[in-house]
This record gives sequence, structure tokens and C-alpha cells, in this order.
Amino acid sequence: MIYYGRSVRTHRNQFVWMAVVVCLALLSACTPGRTANNGPTREITDDAGRRVSLPTKVDRVVSLAPNLTEIVFAVGAGNRLVGRTSYCDYPPEAKAIAEVGDTIHPNIEPIIALKPQVVFVSTASQLEAFTQQLQGQNIAVFVTDPHDLEGVFRSIEQIGEIVGEKDRANQLVQKLRERTNAVQQAVKLKPLVKVFYQTSGEPLYTVGRDSFVTDLIRRAGGASVTADVPGAWPKYSNESALAARPDAIILPTGGSMGAANANVVEALRQSPAVLNGRVYKINDDHLARPGPRLVDGLEEMARVLHPDAFGK
Amino acid sequence: MNRVTLRKTIVACAVLAAALLLAIVLMSLLGSEPLPVRASLCALASFGTSTCGLTQDQFAILFQIRLPRILLAAAVGGSLATAGAGYQALLRNPLAEPYLLGISNGAAVGTMIALVFFGTIEWTRPILAFGGALVATLAVYRLARGRAGATPERLILAGVIVTTFLSSVIVFVTVLMDATKIRSFTFWLLGDLSGTSKALLPLTIVITVAGALALTLHARSLNLLMLGERDAFDLGVEVGRVRILVFLVASLLVGSSVAASGSVGYVGLVVPHLARLSLGSDNRISIPAAALGGALFVIVADTVARTIIAPRELPVGAITALIGAPLFIYLLKRA
Repeated sequence: MIYYGRSVRTHRNQFVWMAVVVCLALLSACTPGRTANNGPTREITDDAGRRVSLPTKVDRVVSLAPNLTEIVFAVGAGNRLVGRTSYCDYPPEAKAIAEVGDTIHPNIEPIIALKPQVVFVSTASQLEAFTQQLQGQNIAVFVTDPHDLEGVFRSIEQIGEIVGEKDRANQLVQKLRERTNAVQQAVKLKPLVKVFYQTSGEPLYTVGRDSFVTDLIRRAGGASVTADVPGAWPKYSNESALAARPDAIILPTGGSMGAANANVVEALRQSPAVLNGRVYKINDDHLARPGPRLVDGLEEMARVLHPDAFGK
Repeated sequence: MNRVTLRKTIVACAVLAAALLLAIVLMSLLGSEPLPVRASLCALASFGTSTCGLTQDQFAILFQIRLPRILLAAAVGGSLATAGAGYQALLRNPLAEPYLLGISNGAAVGTMIALVFFGTIEWTRPILAFGGALVATLAVYRLARGRAGATPERLILAGVIVTTFLSSVIVFVTVLMDATKIRSFTFWLLGDLSGTSKALLPLTIVITVAGALALTLHARSLNLLMLGERDAFDLGVEVGRVRILVFLVASLLVGSSVAASGSVGYVGLVVPHLARLSLGSDNRISIPAAALGGALFVIVADTVARTIIAPRELPVGAITALIGAPLFIYLLKRA
């Protein structure tokens, strides 16, 4: 009995091991990454300073940030976008594309299952381990991290180049540049307006020297009172904000933020900006997303800061 | 209270109260914006009735931004340290602390619910935070009550379970929330005093003072409870009533402080220990001393938080942990 039992068990064990080996072989044979990026490649340096190796022909991309989704659509490659985050709500066609989590918590499995050749990430969502996992699947990860409007234009051109829409991207950037120059010409001789940009009120966040918004304020004929603060989105002292005596306060709100950030922080209620009624709400989607609509934000900002420069 | 203890209590409290007052004044002079020292002291001495030559902005910075924040720091520190001292006495366990028992996380969940559903209606926050703290307390207590009654070990174990469970709830809620709110939330979860609300400040101060007084008045019962529940009962302590009182008062203290400032860690653990190490374990002294010392500790920690990388800021919870952990290790080694 004992011997009989043992031999059956041994056979069973052998069978289990064989099954495991067969399954592993099957799994490794159909790992999607192995076949995703074959053929000729080229190298493009991204904003993280990485030399990213990309296939010459790209027809499946995933975007992990709303501004990148907007750029992909704007350069005419929306039909090649196979995955997006739940924050990617513009243009409306984007909503028909499969969701892969949100920018802060992207979900690796559906991304791999979508077999993209390139995943676009913004530094806000850049997760080291996550990036490594994607690269392990032979999926290229391209990082954008613009610190000014020029950087945004570069993102548009690079994404256009990657998806094979270089000409359209260049045309788009040229148009955006023309609009930007028109704004800068209009406000050129106007006195600078001291601006405080309230990213959020409770607690108080603003924009620092590394934020593209600081550049946007400068181009709109303003001077951010926090332009020299280190970092891009620093948490800021209430009393320093009041002591800076801003002439105007900009509240990004009403877009994805909804009703959030619609009020000036309590500490600034006695600031010249509030006392003179110079508090301006601008759609946060036009200011917080470094994509093509940032120029809309620039125009709106310039109009409120210098209404007399834009005759109506 | 015998005369020696009374005198010791009064002397200790007087010294700590003087130090607290001094800290409030001195820390009011420090901030990301430099203020003229003499004029500021003059304005503070006049209780804000005279500007003493301060500009309108400087006056606003001193009285509408800095001082309210310092007073809130005092209230939060006093609340957490008192609650910690109360738990440690009741449970005869030096590790008993609002955080370890999950009370703070209960209050945090309550505050988050208020923020998500009632948004800008501020007064809902301390009420739901108190509710959350109380539910967490009752859950810990029910979980801890074995056949042999609630032993201190079981209580701590139950606290760990409730803490981790509620931490998961917090993570779950933050994942469901808007991306735009997450950043302020991560700050708030670490403990942050920069969003000082004028509407909640008086309430927080009143609850702190009342809670510290209530526990100090029951300090004798808590002293007897340290002999063991059985002995305390034989000596005439209404054990059940005292326990419920400590739970209620501590929930109120933790709830109001978490609603106002998020989860400022280490205060409830470090400060009562310091009080007992320096003044002895008589609760009649150590509870009021912990209340005053906690206020002092958080005021200093928050001043560091708002000045060290000015004009940017750190969350105060990061500073209390940075000061608290090494201090605690040092005290443990010395004791």
C-alpha cells in the first residue's frame, strides 16, 4: 500500500512539473513585449535625458497624461492612441479610447495587454518601477517634462515625430507660436502686473521657477511674485503671499478642478488684488496641461491682465 | 491632593505655562516674512489694539496669519499629548497612543467624509472626526474585550488592527478622489497647520482646555487604575465610568485636532513620556504637564516647518516625527 501510494504520488508530481514547464514555455512564447518593437529603430532624447529607442513606424501608443492625449490628437494621431487615463477627457473623441487607470495610479496589465510600442508619460506620473516594467516588456517609455512654453512646443514636435506626423506637428507649433507672438506683441509696452498664481488654496500651493506657468505669466505681461521660488509647484507661505502684495490673483478653476480652488485663500483677502477686484478665474485645463491648449490659457491670461491691450 | 503634590503640580504647570507664553510670543516673531521686532512685541502686548507702527500688511501677517496658526499649533499639541497621557494611564501601557489605537485614523476618515460630502461646510469636519474617533475607539474596545475582560495587550493588538484597517480605508478614499485634491490630502495626512481656519480655532482651543481639565480632575482615579483594574475597583474607582470618560474625552480631543490639522504624529507618545520622565508618573502632575508640553512642542515644531525652507513650507508632522523619534530613542536609552 505504502509503495503503491508513493509511486502514484511520484507520478502525479512528475505530471504537475511537466504541466508547469509546458505552461511556462507557452507563456514565454506569447509574451506580447517580445514582438512589439521589432524592425528598424531610431533614437530620440526625451525630457528626462534618456535616449529612447523607438521603432521607425509607430501605430500603437498609450498616453498617461491628459496633456499628452491632447497632443497626440492635435498632431492627427488620435487613431493610433490605444490607451489613455481616466483624466484624459479632451478632445471628446478621447473618451472612446480604453482607460488604463489614472495618471497617478496607471495600471500596468491593461497597458501591456494593449501592446503599445510607445507609452508617453509626464513626470507627474513618472514612476521608476513602472517605467522599468514597461521597458522589460520591450515597450518604449517617452518622458515629457516641459518647464516653459518652448518645452511644450518641443513636446509637440517630438510626439509628432514619434507618431510619424512631423509636418502636422510643425504646422501646429508654428500656428501656436504665431498666436504666442501676437500676445507678446500686444502686451509688450504695458507695465508688468504682479501676479500671484494660486494653484490651490487649502493648503496654499503656487508656481515656482520650474513651472511652465511662470513662463506663461511672463509672456502674458505679468510677473509672478513667486517666479524665483525653487521647484515647479511649491507649497507656499500664507504670509509671504500677502507680503508680496500681488496686483492680480489667478485662480485656475472650473475645468477638471470643478468648483475647487474657486476662492482666494483667506490670508490674501486683504491683498491689493482682492481689494481692487483683480481676481481672475481661468479654466484650469488651459493652464495646468502643458499641451496645445496652453496657448488658449496664455491668451486668456493676457486679456485679463491687460484688457486695454486687446481692443474689443 | 496632599500639599506636596499640589505644590509640585502648581510649580511645574506655572513653569510650563510661562514657557508656553514665551514660546507664543517668540515664535510670533519668526516667519518667512521678517517683521520689526520691537513694533511686533508692542502690538502683541497691546493684544492687537495698537499697530505700534506696523504696516497694515505686517499687522495682518502677525494677527491674522501667524498668531492664529501658533494658537492652533498649541491646541493641537495640547490635545494630542493629553489624549496620549490619558490612554497611557488608563491602559497601563506606555505605547498606548491615539495613533497606535487607530483613533487618529478614525478621526481622519471622519474628516475625509466631511471633506468629500460637505466640502466647504467647515463645522461638519470636527463633528464627523469626533464620530470617526469614537467609532474607532468603540471598535478597538469591542475587539479587545476577551473572556477575561480587556487586557492591555489585547487592546493594543486591537488598536493595531483598527489602525491598519482604517489606513486602507484612507488609501481607498484617496484613490477614488480627484487628482486635484490628492496633493493637498497627502499634505494633510502628514499633519499640516497652514490651512488654519478661523472658524474652527476657538472650538479647538475650548475642547483642548476642557479635555485637559476633565482628565486632570480624574487623575486620582487614573493613578489608582495604574495599580490594576481590580485593585482600583476595590479602592472605590468606578472603573467603567472612568474608562468611558477617557475614551470620550480623548476622542473629542483627537477628533478636533485631526479635523483642524490632519495627523500630527509622535506628540501623544513623546510628550507624556517626557512629562513622566521629568516629573514622575503621578497623573495629577503628568497630565496637565503633558498638555502644556504638547502645546510647546508643536508650536516649536511648526515654527521650524514654516521657516526652515521659507517661503516654502513643510508639513509639521514631518518635523514632529524628525524631532520626536530621535528624542524618544535617547530617552529610552537613558531611562
